[in-house]
Amino acid sequence: MDISRREFIKLVAAQSAAATAGVLFPGISFGAWEKLDLSSGRIKWKKTPCRFCGTGCGLLVGVAGGRAVAVKGDPNCSVNKGLCCVKGYHSIQVLYGKDRVTEALVRKNDKLVEVPLKEALDLVAAKMKETIKDHGKDAVAIYGSGQWSIPDGYVASKLFKGCIGTNNVEANARLCMASAVTGFLTSFGLDEPMGCYDDIDHADVFITWGNNMAEMHPVLFSRMLANRKSKGHIKIIDFATRTTRSSQASDKSILFRPQTDLAVANAICYEIIHNKWVNWDFVNKHVSFHKGKTNIGYGIEDHFKFKDKAETVDFEQFKAFLKDYTPEKVEKISGVSAQDIKYLAALYGNPDKKVTSFWCMGPNQHTRGTWINNLIYNIHLLVGKISTPGNSPFSLTGQPSACGTVREVGTLTHKLPHGVVMKEKARQLAAKIWNVPVTNIDPKPTYHTVEMFRALDRGDIRLMWIQATNPMVTMPNLNRYRDGAQKEDRFVVVSEIYPTPTYDIADVVLPSALWIEREGFFGNSERRTQHNEQLTPTPGNTMCNSWQLIEVARRLGYEKQFPWGRETHIEDIWNEYIQFHDNPKHRMAPYKVLQARSGVQWPFVNGMETKWRFNPKYDPAAKGEGFDFYGKPDHRAWIWLRPYEPAAESPDSEYPFWLNTGRVLEHWHSGSMTRRIPILHRAVPSSYVEINADDAARLGIVNGSKVKISSRRGSVKMPASINGRGIPPKGMVFVPFFDEKHLINEVTLDAFCPISKQPDYKKCAVKVERG
Amino acid sequence: MEEKPNHKADQKIGKVFLVFAGICIVALPLVVFSAITYAPKEIIATVLETASFDFDHNGKTIFEKYDLISDAYLKSTSTGRTLSQYYSRRQYPGSPPEIPHPVEAHGITLGCLTCHASGGWTESLKKITPVTPHADLESCMQCHVRPVTDTLFRAIDWRSIPPPRLGRSHLPGAPVPIPHDLQMRGNCIACHVGPGTVAAIRVEHPSRGNCRQCHVPDLQVEPFRR
Repeated sequence: MDISRREFIKLVAAQSAAATAGVLFPGISFGAWEKLDLSSGRIKWKKTPCRFCGTGCGLLVGVAGGRAVAVKGDPNCSVNKGLCCVKGYHSIQVLYGKDRVTEALVRKNDKLVEVPLKEALDLVAAKMKETIKDHGKDAVAIYGSGQWSIPDGYVASKLFKGCIGTNNVEANARLCMASAVTGFLTSFGLDEPMGCYDDIDHADVFITWGNNMAEMHPVLFSRMLANRKSKGHIKIIDFATRTTRSSQASDKSILFRPQTDLAVANAICYEIIHNKWVNWDFVNKHVSFHKGKTNIGYGIEDHFKFKDKAETVDFEQFKAFLKDYTPEKVEKISGVSAQDIKYLAALYGNPDKKVTSFWCMGPNQHTRGTWINNLIYNIHLLVGKISTPGNSPFSLTGQPSACGTVREVGTLTHKLPHGVVMKEKARQLAAKIWNVPVTNIDPKPTYHTVEMFRALDRGDIRLMWIQATNPMVTMPNLNRYRDGAQKEDRFVVVSEIYPTPTYDIADVVLPSALWIEREGFFGNSERRTQHNEQLTPTPGNTMCNSWQLIEVARRLGYEKQFPWGRETHIEDIWNEYIQFHDNPKHRMAPYKVLQARSGVQWPFVNGMETKWRFNPKYDPAAKGEGFDFYGKPDHRAWIWLRPYEPAAESPDSEYPFWLNTGRVLEHWHSGSMTRRIPILHRAVPSSYVEINADDAARLGIVNGSKVKISSRRGSVKMPASINGRGIPPKGMVFVPFFDEKHLINEVTLDAFCPISKQPDYKKCAVKVERG
Repeated sequence: MEEKPNHKADQKIGKVFLVFAGICIVALPLVVFSAITYAPKEIIATVLETASFDFDHNGKTIFEKYDLISDAYLKSTSTGRTLSQYYSRRQYPGSPPEIPHPVEAHGITLGCLTCHASGGWTESLKKITPVTPHADLESCMQCHVRPVTDTLFRAIDWRSIPPPRLGRSHLPGAPVPIPHDLQMRGNCIACHVGPGTVAAIRVEHPSRGNCRQCHVPDLQVEPFRR
């Protein structure tokens, strides 16, 4: 619902009148900000999920005079219990950058010029019609985001898959969560974690896999630290490829060579079996063993295809498979001492310790991402440490609605809001709810994200609409995809809030309403759906992404499928969407409940949230004794035989360094939002390359000196950071990717996990020189 | 309580604060603001005079004089920390302040609480360390960051509410209400007692530890309606 101009004026007038007393006693002229002419403290606190990462902290935003003026943590939200991180506390400042895109722009004579919004929307619709007529329906595509509000993704899927009839629907979550999804589907048959953040308050041991939580999920990390401080016996083990703030705050830091987490995970399983720590009661009742294809490639070439094939095996075959992974053999591959491997296995194997594993981009952005996800589950399944408070293999997300909008709504080429396009039953259900002929929905998936941008480069796709993401900073092997997007006869529509490198290549820019400027829903890492109402007016001609799509859909002749009114469309869309999940395994909370609470976990059955899935004590969909892994036809969780295979590109004599990329605490993703927040920019104003002090000394590089990093695909120059916030081991450099001035993704490789199609941003070979 | 630095000027100002704090405690009804300002020296003299007043009977006069106290006075402190600095490190009242001194880049927690958990003199910075009101939280740099530049990436149109005015009681002789939110800041002693605190918000009766027996939050949210 939008706040109309009239209501807004009324609101401001009321608050000013109420503030008269305050004007008589003005505050001392302190502080670095411009003061609103209001009495102090006279603000309304409204709940919303945070705009940034996938933790999904509840915020209370202070609103005064039609503006967001302050933030505090929402004490009613069980995610963060009143605490935020520096991004959350300053998140509202992202609304007020002076270069905010507030009008529509169209490229004329190679310049973006302001046009009335109606003209831009007409042009987008006309171009879509023309492209479909000339090149077929699969020549138009939408590329969305885990920052899409749930209704945005839902409307996009309905328009493209249901109405236009193309499966060209992808989202940037393919770049961050796809391996987590395929990991869940292959091991459990259902996506998203079985546990929840409450596990942090129950576990005795935390093992983080390639996951710098102190910076990436700081609120959850400090919750672990608080538990350790109050209980004393808790251990946090950081298992990673580089030394970070998380390593420093952990009880033990164990470094492994890139990609060898696969071998170490298998070695942990070897040790658990070897030392008879297997929980046989659990394994006999609830686990089955399987193997898939090996030597599966890296997807570097266009039109790469791969389909895994599961073969059921038994425990003895699993045990025989693990013979290659004794701690001593794996020490040679991984650089992790046999002693440390045994230590990790002993922590998992100890029947008296509750163990929670956390991971995020380390295992996910991995050319064997699905495998390493499977392997962490293998460990938990062997010892039966799963689906009970504190025993939790927990895959974290990086975006506020990667789960809510991409994984649950299914804004990926093969997915529908319930099920996959390949399944007739799923198509029938979608066609019924969407009010379209079932023949509209194409049973064949088209392009995953990397292949979609390759198709745009090749010309198989001619028109791409990009919403709420910045691929011209974040795509790997960026040079190719930027050149491709700018070719003649390509038409790129960008829904944006600020000028970005993606905005720079747009033919049409549509001004988007942001976060609390519109009503919406996010879904976080722990199956929690979070609603926010509109808290501030939409600036200029900005419009929420859902409504932009609806405007274009109506121009394409789909009024019948998009009948909703502007005032109520978010609620109407929610009510339509949740019909897809109306079963005890995934039921979503009704609109009114979400409006009232600081997030609700699904499955929401008989008015109750589900904290631990697959456990009949907590999960109404689980039946019988002990556990019920109902996602798989055999009602068991699957252990997979997944070998160690090397990375797509490893250092060699010409390119002798590993390049690892990631984030820093202060900046989020491509930085288009966090860099406009003063305190965050001032703390980390530009990107840099972390290099080990020994390598730096050998190359004559000192702190702050210019370094040139080159790969087979591109090169970038940036200042060196030695013994700074993070310390890579010898032979590795690390670069944060938020900085559009230093586009490290021109250097990265577009190799991906053949099962999940998620690229590996953590490993490619580079050369490092003094710049 | 920490020992105050033995410095003449500090002692003098310290006395002033004793009086000032006394005024805060015995603060009186709100009156119309007068925009007259005085030079700091005169103001200090004015405040000192009031020390001989009988607070119970001359509260109104005292309060009116308090209203005349200039910003310059309120900003002064025995430790070099002023309310002005206090707010200049924040983006809005209640936001986590930035770190005003150099920190080890490769740190997260351990260093900060060594000094900020209990305060005291820090030789390297020649400063009395302010105490954090939430020393139970260890991951300090989750919320507090060190700026390394003054510049902005892009200009911003940022506005927020003014900081709360000090010393506003609702009735003659009543204790001042708490003008800020208590979330993360429930430990009154941390910021309102001791030499590391900002003088303008320091109380001089710290031995009465049960602060909220008398001081209650006054956040002016919605007026009470049945």
